[in-house]
Amino acid sequence: MKEDHLSSTFAALADPTRRAILSRLALGEASVKELAEPFQMSMPGISKHLRVLERAGLIDHSQDAQSRPRRLKGERLKEAAGWIQEYASFWEGSLDRLDSYIQELQKQRKHKQRKSIRPSKAHQQ
Amino acid sequence: MSENAKNLVITRTFDAPRDFVFELWSEKEHLERWWGPKGTSLNVLELEFRPGGRFHYRIDPPQGDPMYGLFTYQDIDKPESFSFRSGFSDAEGNYTRHSMAPEFPLQVLTKIHLAEEGEKTVLTLTGGPAEGTPENERAFYEGIIPNMQGGFAGTFDALDELIASLKKTK
Repeated sequence: MKEDHLSSTFAALADPTRRAILSRLALGEASVKELAEPFQMSMPGISKHLRVLERAGLIDHSQDAQSRPRRLKGERLKEAAGWIQEYASFWEGSLDRLDSYIQELQKQRKHKQRKSIRPSKAHQQ
Repeated sequence: MSENAKNLVITRTFDAPRDFVFELWSEKEHLERWWGPKGTSLNVLELEFRPGGRFHYRIDPPQGDPMYGLFTYQDIDKPESFSFRSGFSDAEGNYTRHSMAPEFPLQVLTKIHLAEEGEKTVLTLTGGPAEGTPENERAFYEGIIPNMQGGFAGTFDALDELIASLKKTK
């Protein structure tokens, strides 16, 4: 169910270490050791983060029998990130329309001003 | 859009004085003419622009079912700023989750700030989770928005690109 996905995705992304792990995996798959390196974290420490990411469906293992590197699974992130884009587009779209509306009103106002400034033919006699 | 760890920020400059721009957000006759996505038409069902008042509307898209939205105004500081909670709604004016997007947070808190710049107005829109949003939704905003906006320079660029490329293949 979509709501379950979302809760675990949120929880997974709430941690900066996990976000950095995802960012690293975005560049390509990596072993647990490689992932632990930038954090100078213990293996159990990093494994705990990896389990959270796995349970959230954000990463999995590749099939390499030897080292079982982790790799990013894009679907959940795509799902989760999709709505932000929708929300932002909704607002950008409305603000575009506000801009057009303002310009339309300004045009109408200037047109009215020009009409009132122009002397009428009757007065030129 | 600019970068902010917790909120979505959009800045625009409009070629009109501030008092006038404020009116365009607070009067039915104007809101009808610009609020909503391009190509849609808006019906204002209720508008009370005051703290605690509501803006209940229906958007008719060119295709598909109508969509209802609701604002509940919070603070109003004319002509400089105002804030409101907003979300999807039903015909009766209750907040709901959109049937097609059950994962959208129930309510978003948006603040509009207007600054004078000569004869123009600089509008800053800030949006984020509303009070009372469950903690995990807040974590989502704080986790996703920096990624979406490249807020953590360098570190998340690759992630942004990945998300962008995944969205293209949708």
